[in-house]
Amino acid sequence: MMTMDRAERMARVGGAITLLALVGVIGVYVRALAFTPVERFQGLAQKIYYVHVPNAWAALLAFVVTGLLSILYLWLKDRRIDLAAAASAEVGMAFAVVMMTTGPIWGKPIWGTWWTWDARLTSTLFLFLLFVGYLVLRGVMTDPGVRGRFCAVIGIMALVLVPFIHMTVYLFRTLHPQPILLKPSAPSLPGAMLVTLLTSIFVFTVLYVGFTTQRYALAVMRELRAEEAANAA
Amino acid sequence: MREYLRYALTIALKDLAIEWRTKTAFASGLAFAILVLAVLFFSRDPTAVASRDIAPGALWVTFTFAAMLGLNRAFFLESEERALDAVLLTGIPRSAIFWGKFLGNLAFVGAIEAVSLPLFVLFYDIVVWPYLPSLVLVIAMATVAFVAIGTILSAMVVRTRYAELMLPLLLLPFLVPPLVGGVQLTARLLDGRPLSDYLGWLRLIGAFDLAFVTLAAVLFGVVLDE
Amino acid sequence: MPPDNGGYMVAAYIITAVVALGYAVSLFVRIRAAKRR
Repeated sequence: MMTMDRAERMARVGGAITLLALVGVIGVYVRALAFTPVERFQGLAQKIYYVHVPNAWAALLAFVVTGLLSILYLWLKDRRIDLAAAASAEVGMAFAVVMMTTGPIWGKPIWGTWWTWDARLTSTLFLFLLFVGYLVLRGVMTDPGVRGRFCAVIGIMALVLVPFIHMTVYLFRTLHPQPILLKPSAPSLPGAMLVTLLTSIFVFTVLYVGFTTQRYALAVMRELRAEEAANAA
Repeated sequence: MREYLRYALTIALKDLAIEWRTKTAFASGLAFAILVLAVLFFSRDPTAVASRDIAPGALWVTFTFAAMLGLNRAFFLESEERALDAVLLTGIPRSAIFWGKFLGNLAFVGAIEAVSLPLFVLFYDIVVWPYLPSLVLVIAMATVAFVAIGTILSAMVVRTRYAELMLPLLLLPFLVPPLVGGVQLTARLLDGRPLSDYLGWLRLIGAFDLAFVTLAAVLFGVVLDE
Repeated sequence: MPPDNGGYMVAAYIITAVVALGYAVSLFVRIRAAKRR
């Protein structure tokens, strides 16, 4: 049962989690910038890793959550699940924006190129485009029931698509070997760097949880307001 | 089961009959295919790029755009005068409607492809005769993917305000695996390599077809629910 | 000597902070707007 009180409480809890996570982000920044050693061959730019990877991970997490909630929604037909799926999609979009901007900024000094069509980058690009498609579709539909169903369909199809895109690019690359990347994609990090990375991943995951809780609460509150207005009219 | 098939075929034939009367979508699709082939042919440096090199890409871009034209048309047929409601009222199971739409769209897109292919051979001075069966197989497999996904997506976007914009936006990401596979396999075939050398791509398109035809058929009912 | 590419790092860290804070602010603002009335 959606009530205004519950929604406001949820918004507060979400807000608290978000604020906690943001403090965590500041902590990660301090640790990454001041207390983590500089990589000898890659220089300071290597530290972009500590913000890029967690945001990419959070975007992927958001994407999968939206997909799974979409399946759940079609099965249980509870409107709240649709609102949660959409909340995760919008939050995922924010993380995807960071991912798609920090990625090339990291790639240029480390690999020598702003972009390369390898399996991971291409998949993440399409992840981003699918978020856009989902949110645009959501934006142009007004009937909440229809909107929920259609977005759920897209969410599920998108979830199934991403592994195929990954496979496609992988096959493409093995046929057309590209210049060797200067750095391996998953370097084995020494102790202090690994701790920074893992802490950062944890912090941004908490941020995802906080954001999504807030966004979901917001959606519920808006629905309730709209219902009130409709009843009053 | 026989009834079910009959329902699906009726819907497919109905759509094709409507199209047959005016032939506007087919004619536009064809004209469009010729234009795309021509533009892509001329948009290169002829001294640096042989027509053979861009041929596979040109062919598949043509097929993709022509398919999108055809798919848009399919549901606009029903959005006029709420004809879709009438179809639903007949009590035909929703999945049969999907297969009917799917078959109709497949026939339509297939017809455009069948006419575009000889034009392609003509314009790009390509030899396909020796590999025609393999080529047709590849084209058929990728087209099945295009049409299955396009059918369910066009059923969705016809209910939105910006249908002509939404369909490409939503559809194109899903076309990447079959499209890339189609181009790669076409290029290899034109080089004279046998299809058996590229089982990886065939399996990819095959798995994709299986996954998305099933998904589209299962989810189609959700889209039509009132 | 490690290469001098600190500029990239600064840019990336700033963008991340801007987006994270910006989105957080947008959420708080929108929630407050939905509460009022």
